[in-house]
Amino acid sequence: METLDRPAVRKLMGEVLAVQGKTLPDDDTAKLADIGFRSLDFSELALRVEDEIGDELNFEAAGLRSIETIGDVLDLLVEIQGQ
Amino acid sequence: MSDFQPVPPASVVLVSGASRGLGLAIVTDLLERGVKVAAFARTVTPELDRLAEKYPEATHFGSVDVTDEKAAQAFVKEVEAKLGVIDGLVNNAAIGQDSLHVHTSSDRIAQIIETNLTAPLVLTRFVLRRLIGKGLKGRVVNVTSICGQRGYQGLVAYSATKGGLDAATRSLARELGGRVLANAVAPGFFASEMSAVLGANQLESIARRTPSGAMTTPEDVVPTVRMLLLEQTNINGQSIVIDGGGSI
Repeated sequence: METLDRPAVRKLMGEVLAVQGKTLPDDDTAKLADIGFRSLDFSELALRVEDEIGDELNFEAAGLRSIETIGDVLDLLVEIQGQ
Repeated sequence: MSDFQPVPPASVVLVSGASRGLGLAIVTDLLERGVKVAAFARTVTPELDRLAEKYPEATHFGSVDVTDEKAAQAFVKEVEAKLGVIDGLVNNAAIGQDSLHVHTSSDRIAQIIETNLTAPLVLTRFVLRRLIGKGLKGRVVNVTSICGQRGYQGLVAYSATKGGLDAATRSLARELGGRVLANAVAPGFFASEMSAVLGANQLESIARRTPSGAMTTPEDVVPTVRMLLLEQTNINGQSIVIDGGGSI
């Protein structure tokens, strides 16, 4: 199965925000709340990742965790590919 | 300032269970208003064939059992290829019941739940995944029933599925805030359906007890479905009862 690396997921995240006229900061510690990246934006990003890799992501494998920053999103979506 | 953007009118609508009755009436109404319509049912009826001939560029109809997940998903992809991404979904396919709970087999109960509740949830999931993944907005209309809100004998499992779909509608509206408007229409009993199990005198009696003086027809329900799909109303997460006031 194909997987996306962190820069590729970051690029997709930027595209999700760009449609809304927003810019993805370079700083991975930037808070999602501050950049207006909402839960459905996360869903859109996850679905785009799934579309690229041709498989559904297994969110149950990730366990409960706090997703507050850009880095948290990237870590999660890279980690659960292939699980 | 708010960056609120309303959900636009649906432009490509998928209707399940469209071979006759309310589903067919919804399909016909939307086509007459210039909306592209895809529809499936277990059997494509001559009425659907005639609509396909009349609106060849705006329709895609097929024979699909809503409980066949793979077939339904393949159909959605066909629709996308021909008409565009589905941004309006009407979950209308359902099977009925006319048996006391103690006389309804567990297999029949499972079949009613699979067709009336599981299948629309799975179809909705698939359509929404394709919509949200493309950054688009859309509308969902679930056809439920007054049975989801009031008790009627002989309809225990059926009522459970319709009440369940009403509940899912509310949670969908909450979960998809801003991207998708999710609502339900809850018709009263259609005279055509009831006539199969009730005599003329009983039907007349029910109509007399209904404040509007008439039982519900598919044509009574169509304008509300149209409004929920096409108009800017900010109605979201609601189950709108259309029964002539019979349940008040």
